Amino acid sequence: MSEFIIETNKLTKKFKNRYAVESVNLQIKKGEIYGFLGPNGAGKTTTIRMLLGLAKPTYGSIQIFGKDMKKEKLTVLKKVGSLVEYPSYYGHLTAYENLEAIRILLDAPKSRIDEVLSIVRLSNDAKRPVKGFSLGMKQRLGIAAALLGKPELLILDEPTNGLDPSGILEIRELIKSMPKEHGITILVSSHLLSEMDQMATQVGIITKGKMIFQDSIETLRQRSKSKIAIKVNETEQAWRMLLSKGIQAEMENKQIYLPHSSDEAISTVVEELIHNRFSVFRVQEEKKSLEDIFLELTSGEGSL
Amino acid sequence: MGKVLRSEFLKLRKSSIWLLIFISPVLATLAGLGQSVEDTPYKWEITLSAMSFLHALLFFPLLTGVFSAFVCRYEHLGGGWKQLLAMPVSRSNVYIAKFLIVISLLAITQVLFAGGLVLVGQLKGFEGALPWKMILTSAIGGWIASLPLVALQLFVSVAWSSFAAPLAINVVFTLPNILVVNSEQFGPYYPWAQPFLAMMPTTEESFGALNVPMETLMIVILGSLVLFFLSGFTYFQRKEI
Ligand SMILES: Nc1ncnc2c1ncn2[C@@H]1O[C@H](COP(=O)(O)OP(=O)(O)OP(=O)(O)O)[C@@H](O)[C@H]1O
Ligand SMILES: [Mg+2]
Repeated sequence: MSEFIIETNKLTKKFKNRYAVESVNLQIKKGEIYGFLGPNGAGKTTTIRMLLGLAKPTYGSIQIFGKDMKKEKLTVLKKVGSLVEYPSYYGHLTAYENLEAIRILLDAPKSRIDEVLSIVRLSNDAKRPVKGFSLGMKQRLGIAAALLGKPELLILDEPTNGLDPSGILEIRELIKSMPKEHGITILVSSHLLSEMDQMATQVGIITKGKMIFQDSIETLRQRSKSKIAIKVNETEQAWRMLLSKGIQAEMENKQIYLPHSSDEAISTVVEELIHNRFSVFRVQEEKKSLEDIFLELTSGEGSL
Repeated sequence: MGKVLRSEFLKLRKSSIWLLIFISPVLATLAGLGQSVEDTPYKWEITLSAMSFLHALLFFPLLTGVFSAFVCRYEHLGGGWKQLLAMPVSRSNVYIAKFLIVISLLAITQVLFAGGLVLVGQLKGFEGALPWKMILTSAIGGWIASLPLVALQLFVSVAWSSFAAPLAINVVFTLPNILVVNSEQFGPYYPWAQPFLAMMPTTEESFGALNVPMETLMIVILGSLVLFFLSGFTYFQRKEI
């Protein structure tokens, strides 16, 4: 058996003559929280639909728990919980009855319904018809449904969609706690890298149907190189002076930028400036946020 | 299979669909009560004809569409197909369960209809033994004749996420029934007319397609049932959710 819980090989989906997903090789290890990232229309939902057997790949294969999805779909799905795009529910039924309709299909014990309701903190609303629920409550019900069968793999497509900041935090904590407590592997999609930063251990970035990055979140963070920005009076002269001393510097937005350098190198530069009678107002480190990197990666045509 | 049926039943249990089962049999019973049968020896036949007119010609074919759309409605509304089909249940079982639910609802309707006929006979004090053979032939025949329609309507309802569109189509095809049943040529082959043809008692005064022998009708019905069911079933297996 392969070491991956999910492994796809050249997974491809074509609609008419456009590729929604093109040759994607997902590799997700046990116990990971895999952040599946990409801007709108990148192909996240399409990929997830294929993983769950809702749509057929045009090309390529999917292995989950080391089993071929084409051949052993039902065996695989027994151990998978999912929430795709927006939560599904039967509005005329209560939260409890909604979960009961699913529980019957999963053969889970009845007590499990109360358990999942309390995990997502809906116990008090269990007897209300779901059509009166707020979006956040429906979303939590959807997550409860995904957890009902004690899955080994959880696939969540934008689970924080439509939630307020405290709801987002709550779901994030919930997701973070699961691999630790139950050994679950989680695939969670989002179009915000910042959201993933707080919970994902691995990230895959997809844009225009192609996977452009797949590695640990640390690796991605290391790409966020920092620069030193120096604000002085008479920026241009100061910059020329530094160049004439053979110091690599750039000028942008009336500031001087130095590539990330050692403390000594910075102090040398500042010394030079003062020595040449420039006034140094500010010396600060400017770090690109993960979001900036994400935008850089996904907006340009170029890939890694 | 049992699991899927129980889950489907749970979804329907608290819905308003149960009211619909009563409407047509109640109206038909009223029509039966209103029919005058003083000067005829064929009291049961005439009553059954009067009751079948409204029920079998109009309401029953419409109900096949309403029930079919209803069992797909909750999945279409809340994006439930995704949730349902990402469960460890086979698509075949889901489709068959929905088909079984619809034809069970129709069977209950037919039982109520037959009950209505017996009730009219009792209230009006028809003499002699109950004509069980005629009543059962009509009720069961009508039910079997509705199966191809169910297969067709379920196909349309699964394919179309709108609730109203399949119903509108059903109405459009049901209305010409009044004309079609007069035609010996087309009547037996028109799925929407078949329940009526199967439910009406055959007498000397039978008209149009009613003269077509039951055997011919049943062959057409079973043939189209297989055709429609397999088309819908295959479509659902391949449907991308
Ligand atoms: N059924 C379909 N028919 C045709 N094109 C489709 C279909 N489903 C998706 N697409 C196209 O495939 C591309 C990827 O869509 P997808 O829903 O997977 O994106 P996404 O990454 O989930 O985006 P979002 O963040 O907006 O949810 C889009 O260009 C979309 O228009
Ligand atoms: Mg999406």
